[in-house]
Amino acid sequence: MINLAKRDIQHTLGKFIVTAMGVGMLLGIVLIMIGVYRGMMVEVEILLNDIGADIWIVQENTLGPFAESSRVHKDLRDTLYIINGIQKSEAITFQNIQLPHKDKPIRVVAVGYDIYGTIIPIKQERLIKGRELKNDRYEIVVSDKTGFDVGEEIKLGRNLYKVVGIVSKSVSNGGDPLVYFSLKDAQELQFSYSNKEIQNNEARGIKNSESDMVNAIVATVKDGYDIDAIADDIAKWQHKSVYTADEQKTILTKNLIEKSSKQIGLFTVILVIVSTIIIALIIYTMTLEKMKEIAIMKLIGLPNSLIIEMIVKETLLLGVLAFIFGNIFSHLIYDKFPKLVVLQIPDAWILFGVVLIASILASFVGVKKVISADPAAAIGG
Amino acid sequence: MDNHIAIQVKNLVKNFGKGENSVKVIEGASFEINKGEVVALIAPSGAGKTTLLMMIGCVLEPTSGEIWLGEERVYHDKWLIQDTRKIRREKIGFIFQAHYLIPFLNIMENVTLVSLAKGASEKEAKKKAMELLEYLEIADKANNMTSQLSGGQNQRVAIARALANNPQIILADEPTAALDGERSISVIKMLKKVAREQNVAIITVTHDERILPYCDKIMKIENRTVVFHELDEKIV
Repeated sequence: MINLAKRDIQHTLGKFIVTAMGVGMLLGIVLIMIGVYRGMMVEVEILLNDIGADIWIVQENTLGPFAESSRVHKDLRDTLYIINGIQKSEAITFQNIQLPHKDKPIRVVAVGYDIYGTIIPIKQERLIKGRELKNDRYEIVVSDKTGFDVGEEIKLGRNLYKVVGIVSKSVSNGGDPLVYFSLKDAQELQFSYSNKEIQNNEARGIKNSESDMVNAIVATVKDGYDIDAIADDIAKWQHKSVYTADEQKTILTKNLIEKSSKQIGLFTVILVIVSTIIIALIIYTMTLEKMKEIAIMKLIGLPNSLIIEMIVKETLLLGVLAFIFGNIFSHLIYDKFPKLVVLQIPDAWILFGVVLIASILASFVGVKKVISADPAAAIGG
Repeated sequence: MDNHIAIQVKNLVKNFGKGENSVKVIEGASFEINKGEVVALIAPSGAGKTTLLMMIGCVLEPTSGEIWLGEERVYHDKWLIQDTRKIRREKIGFIFQAHYLIPFLNIMENVTLVSLAKGASEKEAKKKAMELLEYLEIADKANNMTSQLSGGQNQRVAIARALANNPQIILADEPTAALDGERSISVIKMLKKVAREQNVAIITVTHDERILPYCDKIMKIENRTVVFHELDEKIV
């Protein structure tokens, strides 16, 4: 039997392809939206995974530095070694700062760590130029997204910091680029006040006693020890809030990006519904354009099944072609977005399934029109 | 039943609407048309030509009466064959005012479509279509699209399509309306040739008096029923 769908598409190939490209761009946006969500999930875990701690000790009754302000004494890292099972323990600081740049300042998250310590948050594979911090004063390692190069100097507070290394794909849970300081520099940036501020505080009887504070203590646990039990011990003993790596991950994903991910999810669902409606409208219009031919086909005795097959095949092909264009489109633009967009093959396959279902649903409007077409419409002009 | 008769209609009635709002369009039409005859159906607009054509073509259900196609009674106060589309596919050919070929199919595909739907193999359908295209002297355009042919050529393709399923009857709805005088005569001559040589009855609705001399009979709808008129001049 003649493939009516193939012949009809060949007859209006340009129009069909342009239509598929239009729907494809919409599906491409759906893929990008899913990619933004995936990117958020990846970004959330970058710093956690790079630090690789089993336990996070933060200020009592707080969720830790990623969620809210947290201050703990630096010397707690040494005290922790008393606990049986603690393998490594280090003090870490986190703060949002603005790096001065040519046109406008760049918002970054500064991570401070003890460069002579046992837990180094800079992963070697992320270092694409220069080196790690080797001196504990006035050096900085920056993300490539900041636009700084090795050797450049950045003025922050009272001091100049020399860029010694560039890292890539190093972002905070909020998607801001990361920069790394030595713990001393980071503490000074976060807790030291200007001379005038110190004089002002002293006049009010306030002592500047925060110079030895950090935002969290991170620790790893020796093999064979129960991480949860150790976390409970520390919490009771030191009156701190203690989280395991999994709990910290949950805080980041559930508490911090849950709303964003729901928002993206809702947008994605709406886009899929809109795409389905658009495909349905296109098929309806395409069917309307062929009503005379459909009436003739019915009049000369062609069974409905042949005509319906044509409509369904055309709809499915439109969906598949739009899906292919959507993939091409999303892969062409995904790296142009300011935040990380992660395109995953399983997501594309799920969307493919959704597009097929949407196309079948959309074809119903065309099929309904075919069934209701009156063969008598072909007679009488 | 006389096997020369292609179509027989007995006391055919068609009312639109019900009760007080009922409008009688055809009232007790009875006639028979033999195989090989070309019959012109003429009447003023709104007299019921298209209604009659649609009933004979098994597109519109009559209110009552009988319709015989060849030796098979297809309607007797109700359709006797549930799938009227099958009757059309197997017994009736249609030709329209404009050619109404499927624009996205080429000439060969337009002609083979009905045969294939009827269950013929692709080879058989193509062979039959090529024979018809040759018969109608348009075989050289078999692979062209309809948009590449003139109105007269397309109308010949439409005739070929109408013949593709070996019909007993061809119903033509003003087949020459869109053509100039010369082409109109050419098409009616072609239809007459088809009727004679393929032993098919042709009923053609027309307002074109130039083609009447080429017809065997003139059927008119007067006072909601069918009457036959003698031709003043007949071209054999």
